[in-house]
Amino acid sequence: MQMISMEKKWCAAVCVGLSLCASAWAGGNKLVLTGSSTIAPLALEIGKRFEQQNPGVRVDVQTGGSTRGVNDARTGLADIGMASRAMKSDEAQVLVAHRIAMDGIGIILHQKNPVKNLSDEQIKQIYTGQIGNWREVGGEDRKITVVNKAEGRSTLELFLHHFQLNNPDIRAHVVIGDNQQGIKTVAGNVGAIGYVSIGTAEYEQTHGTPIQLLPMAGVGASVANVREGKFPLSRPLNLLTKGTPTGLAKRFIEFAQSAAVDDLVTAQYFVPLAR
Amino acid sequence: MRKHGDALLTAAVWLATALVVGAFLWLLGDVVIHGIGKLDAAFLLDAPQNAGRDGGIAPILVSTLLILVVALAVAVPLGLATAVYLSEYAAAQLAKPLRVCLNMLAGVPSIVFGLFGNALFCVALGMGFSIWSGGLTLACMMLPLFIVTTESGLSAVSSEWRRGAAALGLSRAAALWHILLPAAAPAITAGLMLSIGRALAETAALIFTSGYVDRMPESLSDSGRALSVHIYDLSMNVSGGDAAAYGSALVLIVLILAINSVAVNLTERFLQARTTA
Repeated sequence: MQMISMEKKWCAAVCVGLSLCASAWAGGNKLVLTGSSTIAPLALEIGKRFEQQNPGVRVDVQTGGSTRGVNDARTGLADIGMASRAMKSDEAQVLVAHRIAMDGIGIILHQKNPVKNLSDEQIKQIYTGQIGNWREVGGEDRKITVVNKAEGRSTLELFLHHFQLNNPDIRAHVVIGDNQQGIKTVAGNVGAIGYVSIGTAEYEQTHGTPIQLLPMAGVGASVANVREGKFPLSRPLNLLTKGTPTGLAKRFIEFAQSAAVDDLVTAQYFVPLAR
Repeated sequence: MRKHGDALLTAAVWLATALVVGAFLWLLGDVVIHGIGKLDAAFLLDAPQNAGRDGGIAPILVSTLLILVVALAVAVPLGLATAVYLSEYAAAQLAKPLRVCLNMLAGVPSIVFGLFGNALFCVALGMGFSIWSGGLTLACMMLPLFIVTTESGLSAVSSEWRRGAAALGLSRAAALWHILLPAAAPAITAGLMLSIGRALAETAALIFTSGYVDRMPESLSDSGRALSVHIYDLSMNVSGGDAAAYGSALVLIVLILAINSVAVNLTERFLQARTTA
């Protein structure tokens, strides 16, 4: 134990000196965004365009998940938080959400799976392990591989909320972190079922990845349906500020909500706001 | 009977080696085949565009190297000094528990170092997401590994040499500098290579410390994305980022090979040259 404390002391001693320099360098015209890894690539691109149009301004984007975005915006560690879900009621008391785009979550199966439709109840039973073979929902005699998201992902929260499930009830065979990983897992396993962003899935599907998107409640899982708000399993991509934003943060948020970034939103396979 | 046993053993050893080499070649081949198409001068010299799908990795390469330089500049002197203390100065009953602690630290998952680095450097010391924070976190991660390997190298030097040095009237410092450290050079090199490898491969600890910003860093207090974080983000968060991810992975492998051979050369020239001088 002595070793640990000694090491910390060294590091601390070195760093006290360094941090003095570091704080002296920190500039004034800087915005820090943290949060959802889903929004981060989009925020980064919006930030670059904003920097080009406002010389001298810097937009730093950091990831770590929606919950982190909420916490950092609340504690002031970040100027703007990013969360790929709607605000919870206790969060909405302190934070203001600014929607910049929409994202839909779609259920994906392997292309070779003959099942073309699942009811909410069937999906629920598959994810809780009550249905373990595709035969039971009109498919081939094949074991179902349930792909679930890791704890802390906003996709997981949206999925659980929609299907009224609790994560401990889910009997997952594979636990994944991000959309790409989910798509790769399902594309590599004919018996797998998973859920990912529709924008991502639609892109992969049109580029030959062997997956299919299931319709939900009779509504096709498509980018168009998400934009029009028809698709049941969709989520907003929000920027969060503590109270009403002012100054630079206000200008950045207005820019991120404007039609000037629609091409960037589409390029990240998200759905621009309906205006 | 014995002959059969020998043949069996030979076959097993060959098979195991072939499997290991095969797996490595498969991995390398996969990265090269998918990544080589992306690799050209523009990829190394341009900034990333469209979330990394297009453009290059120049700022990311620079950030990666800066993070590594900070980490090595802190870890190497501290590590060498600690290893010397443990092997040459510390009493046995003190050195033993310290070694146990170091071995435990060496096995701590990197995400723990990442969270520790975030709490200490980014938040408590107010350095924010920066190359400093990332480099210092990596230094903390490298230290146990580097100390353990260096110390084992020093301990392996025969005590005859120490007595010989003392008999010649060499001071402790001179004996260390001219005899013990050069003799332990192979172990120090190995420790350095392991540390560099661990640092360049690190993703989890860096997402929370040096961060995600892919702009060209202007100073060490800027946030800068490391190559491994870039590969992770491209393959996990960016649809259609696979090609760029493979290209970056290929660059990372080449970078590790290049830096390691430079490190080997430098340590050998610097330390071993003096044993013969």
